[in-house]
Order: sequence, then C-alpha cells, then structure tokens
Amino acid sequence: MKTSYTRDDTKDLFAQLRDTGDPQVRATLAHLHLPLVEYLAKRFRDRGEPLDDLIQVGSVGLLKAIDRFDLERGVEFSTYATPTIVGELKRYFRDKGWAIRVPRRLQELSLRLNKVVATLTQQLGHSPTVAEIAKYAGVSEEDVLEALESGQAYSTTSLDAPSGSEEDDSPLRLDRIGEDDVALDNLEYFASLAPLIAELPERERTILFLRFFRGMTQSRIADHVGISQMHVSRLLTRILEFLRRGMDNGDASF
Amino acid sequence: MDAPTVTLRVPPLADHVTLLRTVVSGIAARRDYTLEQVDDLRMAVEEAAVLLLRHGDGTPLELHATVRPEELHVELSTDITGPDPVVDPTSFSWMILQALTDDLSTTVDGGRARLTLVKQREQPTSFEGRG
Repeated sequence: MKTSYTRDDTKDLFAQLRDTGDPQVRATLAHLHLPLVEYLAKRFRDRGEPLDDLIQVGSVGLLKAIDRFDLERGVEFSTYATPTIVGELKRYFRDKGWAIRVPRRLQELSLRLNKVVATLTQQLGHSPTVAEIAKYAGVSEEDVLEALESGQAYSTTSLDAPSGSEEDDSPLRLDRIGEDDVALDNLEYFASLAPLIAELPERERTILFLRFFRGMTQSRIADHVGISQMHVSRLLTRILEFLRRGMDNGDASF
Repeated sequence: MDAPTVTLRVPPLADHVTLLRTVVSGIAARRDYTLEQVDDLRMAVEEAAVLLLRHGDGTPLELHATVRPEELHVELSTDITGPDPVVDPTSFSWMILQALTDDLSTTVDGGRARLTLVKQREQPTSFEGRG
C-alpha cells in the first residue's frame, strides 16, 4: 500500500520527536499530515467559510494531536488525529454561530473582512483603520462598520456550556508562553470572579489574561493562539459578556 | 474654538448600550483610529455603561464624546443614589477599563456619577499618497 512508507516514516519521526523534542521534526510531521487536514477541512466546505481558513483551523488541531500522540498506544496517528482535527473545526463553527439574524450580505462581508484585516495587518505592521479596510476591500466605510458590528452578533451560549468532557480545552500553545497557571493565579486575585473564570475554557482564559493583565494587543494574542484577530475580538466580547452576566446573577461586584 | 462634541442621551436600559457603543465606534473609525483601537473603545464604552446602569437610579445615561485632534474623550454619566464611585480602582472592571483606554477617571459630584475614558490616536501610516 502506498501509505505504508508514510506510516513507517511517521513512526520514526514520532520516536525522534519524543527523544529530542526537535521543532523541526514536529514541523515535518505537520507537513506530512497536511493532506489529512485538507481532506477533513473539505468536509466543512459548504458552510460558507473559505477553505484556506478551515485548513488553518484544522492545522491547529493537527499540532495538538502531534503534541499529544503516544506511540505506545499502538494506533495509527491518522486515526488518533482525526477526531482532534474535526473537533477543532467544529469548535470554530460553534464559536462563529450567528446568534441573531444577520443578513447574508453582512455575514459574507464580515467573513471577507476577516481576511482583509489579516492581510493589511501584515502589510502595514499595525492594525488597519476602517478607511484602509474599506479602500482595500472596495466597499464603503459604512459597510465596514456595519459588518464589524454584526460580526459581534455571535452566540454566547457556548461559553455557558460547562467545560470538560466534551470540550477539548487543554492548553493550545501555552507551552510557547508557559503561563497557564500564572494566568489562573492572577485572575483568582479577584476572588468573586474566580468561579466564573474557572468555567471558561482554557483558551478563553488565556486570551482574557493576555489582553487585560499583560496588555497584549489583539493581533499579538491572535498570533499566540493561532486564530485571527477578529476571532480574538469576538471571543473577548463574549468573555466579558459571560463574566458580566455571571456577576449579575450573583451578588458580588465585578 | 472648542473641540466638537457629540452628545447622546438614552434610557437606562441595556438595549440602548449598543447605541452608545455604535456612536463611539463610528466617531473613532472616522477619525482614523485603528481597528483594534475602535474595538477597545467599543468594549470600554460597554463596560462603563454597564457599570453606570448597575448603580444608576433610573435616570437616562448620557454620553459626551469630545473629538480632539489627537484623542477622543468619552464621558458617560448618570445619577446615582449613593455617594461612592461606580467603580472601585481595585476591581476587575477597573482593570479592564485601564487596559482598554489611555486615561480613565471616575467621579461622583452632587449625585452625578461620571466615567471618563480617553483614547489617543495612533498614527498609522496610511495608503494615502501611495496612489
């Protein structure tokens, strides 16, 4: 079978990665399994998201799977990685679920702007202005503002769901910044908030910490966590809403 | 000449916080604030308005946005019943507001609580002139 050589390669590489922790080996493994991500991402193609974005999201799942894969389990890596990649893609769609009816035109524009913002941020080296976005996208500033506002109209329900079994919320790239415990300790300083913060998935907690305690910009957080700046923005908005509602239900002050 | 000021008064209901937010985002966007700064302001106005709503005595919320060349000055106010500021400088809300603004103050004067948020404009290199 044609894939067998890949399988052996994969096993060797995982053994190497386990022994050396070499990031180059990790990158090779990721590259080797990109077709799997592409294959899985295509299954979500009819949901109105650009395939490139889906592949990027799926790749995050792939990296998670690489970091967690244990050769001793005796399963093929692709078998092991598939649910993680699919889980990442599903979470992406869940995060994006439109809570209120937003006209299709605005939904599409909002999705398009997501990309424009990323491109411009890269080109300019700073977050773009609305005028710059409008000019680049060839739409009016009003359209940009409207799309951005509607982009915030996302469901907040997923944050209400208890984190745990179903939610795969282990640290994403915290290894790179190594501060998940620090984050929690700092946030727990606000005693009344601690139970609420503990309910947040790991990723949301990290974003909260980096933005409000570290003063990191949304773009930098986006780089760290591996999602787009506009996605960070939406998550921040939802996190604050979640905390506010939680505080309103209790009697403590925020 | 005085800096131009935009004033808006809304009923003290959560539904209207969106309006305050949208107005401030709109002003900032048209003043060439970067997207992230516009977003910071949007979140800060929301947080401030929620604080005032929580402590207010049911009188309308007022917004005064003063547009200065290099900064946007946003004051939100309402009448409150107690003598204390609506936000404690050791609270999480204060920390959020601080992270989102360049300058921040809270006062209570004659039963009127005010939260003032200041956001400075970055000077992004624009596409203009590149043709």
